[in-house]
Amino acid sequence: MSASKFTGGVELATGIGLRVPHYQHILSEKPAVGWFEIISENYMVEGGRALEVLDMILEQYRVVQHGVGLYPGNAGGVSRDHLQRLKRLVRRTKTPWVSDHLCWGSVDGSMSHDLLPIPFTFEAARKTAENLKMVQDFLETPLAMENVSSYGEFNGNEMTEWEFLAEVCELADVGILLDVNNIYVSSINNGFDPLEYVNFVPPERVAQIHIAGHSRYERFIVDTHDHPVIDPVWKLYERAIERCGHVATLLEWDGRIPSFEEVWTEARKSETWRASAMEKRGDHEAA
Amino acid sequence: MKPLDELQREFFAAIQMPLRGTSRESTELTPSDDGHSEEFLEKARELMKPGQNLSSEERLELYHRQYWFRVLDSVAEDFPVLRKMAGEQVFWDLMEAYMMACPSGSFTLRHLGRKMPEFVAGWEGLDEPKRRWFSALARIEYAYMEIFEAADWEPVAPEQLATAMLGLQPHVILLELPVPADLCEDWETFEPEDESPVWLAVWRGENRGRLQCRLDDVEYELLERLRKGGTLEDVFAEPASREPEPEEISAWFAAWQARGWIASAPEGDVIDFMPARKQAVGEMDWSGLDKMGSQAVAMGEE
Repeated sequence: MSASKFTGGVELATGIGLRVPHYQHILSEKPAVGWFEIISENYMVEGGRALEVLDMILEQYRVVQHGVGLYPGNAGGVSRDHLQRLKRLVRRTKTPWVSDHLCWGSVDGSMSHDLLPIPFTFEAARKTAENLKMVQDFLETPLAMENVSSYGEFNGNEMTEWEFLAEVCELADVGILLDVNNIYVSSINNGFDPLEYVNFVPPERVAQIHIAGHSRYERFIVDTHDHPVIDPVWKLYERAIERCGHVATLLEWDGRIPSFEEVWTEARKSETWRASAMEKRGDHEAA
Repeated sequence: MKPLDELQREFFAAIQMPLRGTSRESTELTPSDDGHSEEFLEKARELMKPGQNLSSEERLELYHRQYWFRVLDSVAEDFPVLRKMAGEQVFWDLMEAYMMACPSGSFTLRHLGRKMPEFVAGWEGLDEPKRRWFSALARIEYAYMEIFEAADWEPVAPEQLATAMLGLQPHVILLELPVPADLCEDWETFEPEDESPVWLAVWRGENRGRLQCRLDDVEYELLERLRKGGTLEDVFAEPASREPEPEEISAWFAAWQARGWIASAPEGDVIDFMPARKQAVGEMDWSGLDKMGSQAVAMGEE
């Protein structure tokens, strides 16, 4: 899938997350990067430096908004104040789509500031889809939901994570931000085959792919975004592209952030994997 | 399976319980020999499926520690002078008590400290004088966050002062404090002096950095009126608590104008926004811009 209703008709190639240690380099050197992803909540403010920097970036680059605080899986619904702030930012950035995480994170207005796992039940799928429909209607911008890294599953789950992701996105008619690193992390922590996950995702809904590195501990993996992407994750990426076609790809690097050049070089490795995947895809189509 | 709202309430209540064991030892919090409460362990077994490598309790604990690591790091970062004045143990006891009593109510971690001044003023872990000083100090430090993200209004030109609807620039925070807590920044240890009240203004400067100055009490009073909005005539409609000299008024207005404090509220609905002002790249200070950067990093800091 290249451009679709889930990308607002916009086709993007490789991008990286906009992070503070790179601001100086980006604004002064203006490197040839296709697009930047911003964390929406950093810019949902009334004024000051954050918006000043954002406006300077917007003069030069396409920006796509990625949030960490929508919490569409909240049983109590989505914050109206949050949506108003988000919409104001959408107008400023003219982002082709808005992404956030398929998770919950607050109760009665108290915030966890974490991406908490949703129980994979039909009730939760219905409630989350209802919240997402309302959000997409309010924002008037395509919405894409990212699968989160998880460190545990609930007793009483009624479906797999990939079935839940597909169910919610179909019910709400929203796109998917497929994070192949998160799939890998969750597969190790929760004991499933990551390829089965990638093979199940409805390819026509995938608006964007995230790649990232993680940290491996003795008994589990943590999604730290502070290392290069490992080969098993690149292979999942290749398979995802083979199924979905050309999809906007974004490298996340949030901890121990190296130089801009190092991050950009890592992100551009996706082009080799993408070419190989598109070749395989072409072979399938020819056959 | 429990209803979704019930499950979320119980999960959230569990991760807000005090840190214990090795998770607690990974923080600056005062060590404790207590293990997890039976309530936490029972909730973990009830909610979380055990895995091949991690038990139900360990799985819930990963979310539990992630919550605490993130909020403690964030709130502590916003009160560096309070930390220096209180000393490590008192400061971390305060942070833990604060987060137990006042969980975040905002989409951003920048607002975590919003209730800190009020909480410190009533916290039993401090004696009465320290409550006064530390509460005032927390108010000043929280103002630094407020000015960081407040709106910029268009300053009013001098020739329009007499006729325009005036307001105070939103990024100017006015503080009336019972003690001169602004002095603490220069102290190495807490050495309280006389407890006379002070009036302060904290604002965002041209380079987007933080500026602050002391105000005269009547100057503060007039600025509060300006904050409410109105014409010049409205600002002076009621007598002030002390009749200022014309020279004082003239000097205050000149300073307010020079700092761009006298401004007009923009017209438009809630969705409209003001274009941000431009500044040379080399002069910009990037600190504090990425408070919500990664939801993953806190957990990786073992």
